Amino acid sequence: MLDLIEVFERADNGLLILDTDYYMNRFVPKLAEIIDRYKIKWDRQTIVNSDDDLADRVFQAAVDLIAEAGAYCPDTNRVMEFTRDEIVRAAEQAPQSARFGEGREAKTMHGRNVDEDSVPWIHVGGGIYTTDEQIYLDTVEGLASINIVDSLSVPSILHLRGKDARVRSPQELLSAIKTVILAREGIRRSGRAGLPIINGISAASNSVSMIAAASPQFGLRPSDGFLIDFLSEMMVNYEALQKVAYFNSISANIGSTSTPLFGGYAGGAEGVAVLATSYFIMGNLIYRGSYHYNAPLHQNLRLSSTKPLLWAIGMSNQANARNMRYPVVNLPYLGGGAGTRMYHHEMAAYMLSVVPAGGNIFSGHPAKSVEPNSLLPRDHQFHAELGLASAKFSRKDANPLAQKFFEKYEKLIKDPTPGFRYEQVYDLKTKKIVNEEYLKIQDEVRVEFKEMGIEVLTS
Amino acid sequence: MEKSEHFDNLKNAMIALEKDDVVSITVKSLEVGIEPLDIIDNGLLPGLNTIGEMFENEDIFLPELMRSAQIFQGAMDLLQPKIQEMGTNIKKKGTVVIGTVKGDMHYIGKNIVKLLMETSGFDVHDLGVDVDPFAFIVKADEVNADMIALSALLTTTLIGQKDVIEALEGQGKREKYKVLLGGGSVTKAWADEIGADGYAENGYGAVKLAKSFIA
Repeated sequence: MLDLIEVFERADNGLLILDTDYYMNRFVPKLAEIIDRYKIKWDRQTIVNSDDDLADRVFQAAVDLIAEAGAYCPDTNRVMEFTRDEIVRAAEQAPQSARFGEGREAKTMHGRNVDEDSVPWIHVGGGIYTTDEQIYLDTVEGLASINIVDSLSVPSILHLRGKDARVRSPQELLSAIKTVILAREGIRRSGRAGLPIINGISAASNSVSMIAAASPQFGLRPSDGFLIDFLSEMMVNYEALQKVAYFNSISANIGSTSTPLFGGYAGGAEGVAVLATSYFIMGNLIYRGSYHYNAPLHQNLRLSSTKPLLWAIGMSNQANARNMRYPVVNLPYLGGGAGTRMYHHEMAAYMLSVVPAGGNIFSGHPAKSVEPNSLLPRDHQFHAELGLASAKFSRKDANPLAQKFFEKYEKLIKDPTPGFRYEQVYDLKTKKIVNEEYLKIQDEVRVEFKEMGIEVLTS
Repeated sequence: MEKSEHFDNLKNAMIALEKDDVVSITVKSLEVGIEPLDIIDNGLLPGLNTIGEMFENEDIFLPELMRSAQIFQGAMDLLQPKIQEMGTNIKKKGTVVIGTVKGDMHYIGKNIVKLLMETSGFDVHDLGVDVDPFAFIVKADEVNADMIALSALLTTTLIGQKDVIEALEGQGKREKYKVLLGGGSVTKAWADEIGADGYAENGYGAVKLAKSFIA
């Protein structure tokens, strides 16, 4: 595989081109041409694909996209170009497992195959904004206390002395450190001190804050996971490459992260499926990732539970599972608010799309991830259990059930049901659930799911 | 050929994103004596409106939207000199200064809003990403804008939207410009808190809001 310094040099020496020209003259036409070349077509009915040949063509298209469009570095205005051989080698040599955590919580996340009925990695939480330190600690403790959980995404807390930190400010750096300290403390309180945090670092939006807060005295370790994202489609900036340089230098787990936008430069379902798969390969080729955060999103609705997106997300997992098997968790941006029926229905359709497709389990981000204090540990326990139930399905059997769940929330997508906040559900002193309506909804949903054909067993 | 036939052909060529056809029909329309402003109002803009609706319905996506803006501009390059020769002006719906606020490098959302506004007849001045708060005001003054549209994706960059409003207030210009917010982490509550004039969750909503400001 390409030497890391050589990868960095590609950002300095490639074709000099305007970003708009990169998109309009390279990325967009190449992607369209490649989709035609491999005859990739979403039939508008299917949610969970079971056509292996199509999944393999998506993978080949993803290789071609990197080879023919390249990535783009906005700091140098240069195209990072790679040969087909370099790309194929990166795919062949991508890790198929990643080791996380410490002590008795140490465990290996595997890249899974399609239709594999093994127990997936169970990841819960989300980098959602939290307004209050006590709620933050209680949320993290509650998530870590879910006994079947293997890793956490911890929320972000940007308040410092009652004010929100500004990007690139010293307060942001201190907030990132505070987030790490509180997160580790919350985990410690659950009695599972070695449990890994794999969304390092939710409150750090720039490389300086992230690298500072990753210092081991604040509680993160190389056995946690550090996210490095693509700024925009195929865009690799210096900030990302700085993080790559640092986290590779301390041999930490890197989570390559991508958010291909449905309706954006990639177009519709087919483009998103190909692009998302390209990011898996680039996650290893450019970022040297140990695992991938796959987070395709609808650019307009700001959620990932539409029918074409479910197909595209599942398809990218299948392309990876059959050709690379890079460990992947898929980040569900859901429209329904925390604790609502809509939220659980979306989660069911999503889990059935990604888990039989070879993905691991990741619980849902409610209310499009913008409602503060909306991570409710009980929801995430339910979603983890739902993920385990989904792992028993083949893709073929998952498809009709995913359709049924989709039909339940389809009409609500443009105006999702608002949900609960932590403080509306939990007693802040006893940390017990005191909201009867919340409990009733989840109990009813569990019964409803069983009647629909998926039994979600309590862990 | 009737005028209406030229207009229909032009609209259909726009919708089909046929650049060469749009150019040739525009040239032909001018040759037969149709006023440039009529060509815009009855051929090009109806085509762009349909394209906007197709984008909203997910029949087309950002690449097609960008292409339509390029094709429209190609036709405008032919029409603009004629309009100037006649001593008339193109009546824009309104003038917008747009950008992603200081500290935020994200631009897809902002680009979509820009394109949708342009194809809806607004004159849009894009300042790019990571824009200094005072740069918005300088540009708005320079182009005599009606509104300033501020994008912010990150929670930590939201404050940049507040900075622009504060800077406008500091210069006594708050009432001069409508301030429209958008971006991944923006909520209505935030827009209300900082005293923005409006907030849109998506590009189409931004256009509707902008139109309401001008009405």
